[in-house]
Amino acid sequence: MQSKLVSFIQVLRSHDVRVSPAETLDAMAVATTLGYANRDLLRDGLAMTLAKTPAEEAVFLTCFDRYFYQRLSDFSRAQELADDSSRPETGETGNEPGEGAAAAGDAAPLAAAAAADADIAALLASPLMQSLVDNDRNELTVAIGRAAEQVGLRQIQLFTQKGQFTRRILDAMGEEQLRSAVIELERQESPALAELQRYRDILREEVRNYVEREYLLHAEGRTRQFMDEVLSKTRLNNIEHMYLHKVHELVRKMARKLASRYSRKRRQVKRGQLNMAKTIRKGIANDGVMFNTYWRQVRKEKPQILAVCDVSGSVAAYAKFLLLFLYSLQDVLPKVRSFAFSSHLGEVSSYFDDYPVEKAIELVNWKYGGATDYGSSLQDFARLALDDINSNTTVIILGDARNNNGDPRLDLMQNIYQRSRQVIWLNPESRRVWGSGDSEMLRYQSACHFSAECNNLKQLERIVEQLLKSTH
Amino acid sequence: MQIDNFPQLASVAQIEQGFESFGYICSTKIATAVFLACQLRKPILVEGPPGVGKTELAKTTAQLLDLPLIRLQCYEGLDEAKALYEWKYGKQLLYTQVLKEKLGDLLKGAKGLAESVERLHQFGDIFYSEDFLEPRPLLKAMQQERGAILLIDEIDKSDYEFESLLLEILSDYQISIPEIGTIKARTSPMVFLTSNNTRDISDALKRRCLHLYIPFPSVELEERIVRSRVPDVDAQLRHQLVEFVHSLRQLDLKKSPAISETIDWARSLLLLHAGQLDEEMVRSTLNVLLKFEDDIEAADAELRALLQGGRPG
Repeated sequence: MQSKLVSFIQVLRSHDVRVSPAETLDAMAVATTLGYANRDLLRDGLAMTLAKTPAEEAVFLTCFDRYFYQRLSDFSRAQELADDSSRPETGETGNEPGEGAAAAGDAAPLAAAAAADADIAALLASPLMQSLVDNDRNELTVAIGRAAEQVGLRQIQLFTQKGQFTRRILDAMGEEQLRSAVIELERQESPALAELQRYRDILREEVRNYVEREYLLHAEGRTRQFMDEVLSKTRLNNIEHMYLHKVHELVRKMARKLASRYSRKRRQVKRGQLNMAKTIRKGIANDGVMFNTYWRQVRKEKPQILAVCDVSGSVAAYAKFLLLFLYSLQDVLPKVRSFAFSSHLGEVSSYFDDYPVEKAIELVNWKYGGATDYGSSLQDFARLALDDINSNTTVIILGDARNNNGDPRLDLMQNIYQRSRQVIWLNPESRRVWGSGDSEMLRYQSACHFSAECNNLKQLERIVEQLLKSTH
Repeated sequence: MQIDNFPQLASVAQIEQGFESFGYICSTKIATAVFLACQLRKPILVEGPPGVGKTELAKTTAQLLDLPLIRLQCYEGLDEAKALYEWKYGKQLLYTQVLKEKLGDLLKGAKGLAESVERLHQFGDIFYSEDFLEPRPLLKAMQQERGAILLIDEIDKSDYEFESLLLEILSDYQISIPEIGTIKARTSPMVFLTSNNTRDISDALKRRCLHLYIPFPSVELEERIVRSRVPDVDAQLRHQLVEFVHSLRQLDLKKSPAISETIDWARSLLLLHAGQLDEEMVRSTLNVLLKFEDDIEAADAELRALLQGGRPG
């Protein structure tokens, strides 16, 4: 049972529930303490050690039901059979009450066919057929499990492999024999045909279900990880609309990760409030004379971030994602002010605070979308925020710096550059085309502490990590 | 001595009964958590909306085991001087004065500096010793002879740094004081941490705890709770009022009414001699259940529908 528990934890991990080795040990201890007799008790107990958020708990419950489904339902079925001996063969398909009786009646022609044909007799004697005829579900499940082990079902990765694995398991179990017998009986038009066909269908159904369950347990999570990996490397404007919400999830996850990693606050000495205890304590060394004074420390929030985002047509696809990222970042970091512009600029922080993400992005795009004018946008930005820019401020600008040959207003950019802690420019265009045509990137670059090409999530993640590191 | 040899905590069912005898009606899940916590000697991290009895759980456990309840209320800026220990500065100062006066006597007859220093070393260093240690809640919980119930309330209100401070206590039941060394708990206390989920608790802390999420109770459970807390309310009214509270929780409110509010409401209805819920009565007592003006207005608008839905049949 212990190894079952360990592989159950593997399943949880593949579904994004983080379980540490220490927690695995705890789970073992829980299982030993509570015993395996009471399913609900065990489930609650394990949930307490393995799932540490409500979301994880929901995943845990689904996985628990799926994973411990087969064994438990089989036992109950066996129990039912034992209890209710008046129904000799409860039909495996189960939903028709008359089926059991019909099956009992049909057993005779099959026996007759076996007597007539040595092949079929041999088939009937095989353990596989035995378990089917005896309706020994435990035996059958064990046999399927063994065959699955043999063909390496746990390696299943993609849903397209389901059919292939089903076939392989059937082969490993010796279904071929059964199949040829069915063909043989069909040729003979034997009355036993229906009976044997039914067994064959039961077997196939069972194996298919088994593969389905194993797929859900082992592969679903893995497929998702695979997708996440691919998505984060895809250029943002190539990602299809249907994956948008997935990207949103990813961005949120990333923003949260970054925020929790860097949310250490800075300490700053505030003059005015004496830390009496410390002053006395340090004074002891000087014979009780309070030679040095110590002051209460207060915490200072992280430096402020001002984010400016170009939402004009040329970068619209990317802007959506930066807005998305900003939205998530504003959610998790305390001081982020967001601005959007194309021909003019305005603050959009309040949209992000008040509306859900899709609505907010839509509103911003609708309000500020249009042709780009960096000059007047910078002017707006300076008017709105220049006074707030100080040595603790980080300014992030996202845009392609294509100014339609207008005045770039480099003087404003210089001004911002001098006042702020750092200016970061993220350009979705490849570095090679910077400065070509109406791109002012090379000139703006001179007024940036850091500029980078940014058009997929991996790059964005790296840049933001760098950014957060340097704001410390 | 360990805390797990209390007969009151011998099985899940027994815990459930024990709690009930102190008027705390709980689900099996909660009892399981307490059982596991004492068997595995692990802290419990209790999460859930405000007012579902997170703090009450710790209090009842203390009553059940007849152990002292030591409570540490967390808030922003809480540090080790307030949570763990502090030195008694005044006494330390006095001690230095006394020492200064006695110094002449102690060093009488010592030849040269080296011998004086050697003599000084022969006295125990009591300046930083337990005599001058002022225990704060966490240290106090470690010092209890019979063990204690340690309640670290609203851990989410504290800073991240404070969480790391707790790690040593939670996993090994010991505290390291740089000047003295490690102080081990005489009897490991049973620890409850509560959180209202205003921020994520760090993984390191979660890993060390059993995680218990207490949701709002089912109608049936809540009726039992009301019955045990306000026994004088008659069965029909009790059913009605619990149903009403449950339908209130379906609304999109700033703060849903919690169990404590249901109990308060039941008490108020009792004081007003209400036989059954009617619109007027509910309207005038709604402020017991809902604490925001917006919520009261929202509920007021739907009052009739809620009351209709609340009635059986």
